Amino acid sequence: MDALINRIRGIAKDLLREGKVDVVIGFEEGTIPFHSRPCFVRSPDEADRLIWNSFCENNLATYVVKRNERMGIVAKGCDTRALLELIKERQVIRDQIYIIGVPCEGMIDRVRVEAELRNRSIQTVEVREGTFLIMGKDFEKELEIKEFLYPSCQVCTRKNPVIYDELVGEEVEESVGETYPDIESFEGLSDEKRWQYFSEEMSRCIRCYACRNACPLCYCTECFVDASNPQWIGKSIDESDTALFHIMRAFHLAGRCVECGACERACPLGIDIRKLNRKLSKDVLALFNYKAGISLDEVAPLATYRPDDSEAFILEP
Amino acid sequence: MKAKTIRKKDISGFLDRLIQAYRVYAPVMQNGYFLFKTIKSGSEASLNYHNTKMSPKDILFPQSEVLFRYQLDKPGVEIDMPAQDERNLVIFGIRPCDVRGIQALDNVFSKNPKDPYFEERRSKTVIVGLGCKETHNGCFCTTVGGGPCADDGSDLFLIDIGDEYLIRIISDKGEVLLKEEDLPDAETQKITAAAEVAEKAQEALRPCVEVQGSEDILTQRFNDPVWDVISEKCIGCGVCTYLCPTCHCFDICDEAVNKEGKGIRIWDSCQYPLFTRLASGLNPRDTVGKRMRQRIMHKFVYFPDEQGMLGCTGCGRCVIECPVNLDIREVLNILLRTGAAR
Amino acid sequence: MAEPKIEKWEPKIVAFLCNWCSYAGADLAGISRIQYPNNVRIIRVACSGQVNPWFILANIQQGIDGVLISGCHPGECHYLTGNYRARRKFALLKNFLQFVGLEEGRIHFTWVSASEGVRFARVIEKVTDIVRSLGPAKKLVKRI
Repeated sequence: MDALINRIRGIAKDLLREGKVDVVIGFEEGTIPFHSRPCFVRSPDEADRLIWNSFCENNLATYVVKRNERMGIVAKGCDTRALLELIKERQVIRDQIYIIGVPCEGMIDRVRVEAELRNRSIQTVEVREGTFLIMGKDFEKELEIKEFLYPSCQVCTRKNPVIYDELVGEEVEESVGETYPDIESFEGLSDEKRWQYFSEEMSRCIRCYACRNACPLCYCTECFVDASNPQWIGKSIDESDTALFHIMRAFHLAGRCVECGACERACPLGIDIRKLNRKLSKDVLALFNYKAGISLDEVAPLATYRPDDSEAFILEP
Repeated sequence: MKAKTIRKKDISGFLDRLIQAYRVYAPVMQNGYFLFKTIKSGSEASLNYHNTKMSPKDILFPQSEVLFRYQLDKPGVEIDMPAQDERNLVIFGIRPCDVRGIQALDNVFSKNPKDPYFEERRSKTVIVGLGCKETHNGCFCTTVGGGPCADDGSDLFLIDIGDEYLIRIISDKGEVLLKEEDLPDAETQKITAAAEVAEKAQEALRPCVEVQGSEDILTQRFNDPVWDVISEKCIGCGVCTYLCPTCHCFDICDEAVNKEGKGIRIWDSCQYPLFTRLASGLNPRDTVGKRMRQRIMHKFVYFPDEQGMLGCTGCGRCVIECPVNLDIREVLNILLRTGAAR
Repeated sequence: MAEPKIEKWEPKIVAFLCNWCSYAGADLAGISRIQYPNNVRIIRVACSGQVNPWFILANIQQGIDGVLISGCHPGECHYLTGNYRARRKFALLKNFLQFVGLEEGRIHFTWVSASEGVRFARVIEKVTDIVRSLGPAKKLVKRI
């Protein structure tokens, strides 16, 4: 891990010293355990703030949009997928960013860790090879990293960066195959069960829009939520309005979402947002043979068509 | 001050009896975290928690509140006010930082002009505070003039002394709650034990920044580019304001379908880009730095100026829940010391 | 004048018909005096590709029991590719709304050409029957 961190810092220093970028966007130590956080380094001296560990959960691609600087950016697998989509959608110019790709084996789910510790106060965390050690006031516990990855990391199929200018660290083994067993089993439930699950998840939503803001692909200057003429949905926590907010946000991301999980990590109430996005990703793959954030040459699925697209859903009288 | 004691295992029964006459809000565990909810039985509540995910401000100042409804199908307009629950309400097991939050809201909604919706509930509210034996890593109440066992603002105040709670009786309203209960007066040694718990918790939470004099320093630094540097990683998600016990910005919307409609008040956040956008398109706070400045200045300059108390209670929710770990304690440290910004 | 009494619930259905094919087909049905259920309210749009998913959801939110979108047959779109775009969009939307638990059968898509007056009537009959059997819209409906 230390060699990796030194490499990242070295690259950042070189980029800044040689004037190739104005800022390097990476991660730094947080102020509380289990939190690493985004940082913006503008001079070689500051580059020693940069770190890399199992708490680097933010998707930094969200910072490249509408930024007029040349940027270096530390990006894990899912982050590079988001960057690729943003390049495709012309929200950032490829030459404007220098991508420091880092293969990633997943980030630690601090919410589940806290639940495991039954709310006992955590003082420090130390990450080791494959495990992490938690120290509290009067206890100590060592847990397996693999058992406590975020749900998005558990099903990740692109741990290695898909696009980069420089790769830091060894490539890791990818899971094989694009499958959605969680969505398939959910589809197997009855209408009523699915509706009930969805309604319960939505009932917790307080319309804070953290999910939308954490998402790198939600970059509209005026979100549909703020449209007033016409007003598509109300702004209160009315169940119908809230349900439609999530339905339509997910639909606006159809074929664009890279399933990084930033949305559900940002949600303060732990709502299962990614399930909606995964359903759409699954259908986009099945119907249009397309996966977001993989290839710069593939046109976005809803921006094109094939004469032989599926008509299974068309009504025949 | 009068005090009684109650055994921890008797709390559930006490709540059961309270529920007969009051709407009782207590911390309830669901989906892995705690929230204040109305309980139907004492067993639903748990006092074995650090703090709730959302502050209890939504009991008195809900996220969405119908202000009035109207009908247009008869001649003229018929306006209906929403029905209110007649019963008094008890907020049970609320932490001192959140009680402080309610005091902040009192300054906003209970002074002239009074907000009738807030007042209607607030006037019926009895607060049973719960002191903190230990704090978690986001807490900083002692930095902003509060304390883990500060009982002002509560009507009754519980302190954990082992198998029992000491109940400090702060007000008459609080005393009424205990009327039907046959609780023993607190023995001197227990009162002392409680004071020790309070002192120990207070000592353990050192202030992390000197807030005295912050008004002047922050005002002087109004145009300092440091605001942009501090807030660069902010994604404008609004979680800090929604979870904050003192934040109270709101929007008012009208919704109508054909001939009936309603006016609703909903939470809003100064951290949203469109918060200050005017109809002309001009936006006085069009950058993250300006919005962050507003948040800090409101809490540490404008609010104290107008209301005589800080607009931050040190509960730490914004620290813990911020997706990018933008730590208000760190921000204050940078601003109030003249050292270089991070 | 006394208000007419509505004794039995009848579904309200909204149909978005593309101007060049489906709307003309509906018009032909009318001219040919072909009977079809009068539950449907027709909204003419330029092209099925113009239909924004929000139109469908706004209808559902306001309590419409069934929504139909009909366009030109693939290959016959007046704007060449509008219906192809619609096809992709609505394949996803239909599956997605079903996924969250909205009853299958509330939302329908079809192709009707300008000469298919009879087909149009049959489509309306089928959609009306299906929606009637589902009962009044409840899910996602907004209550004021």
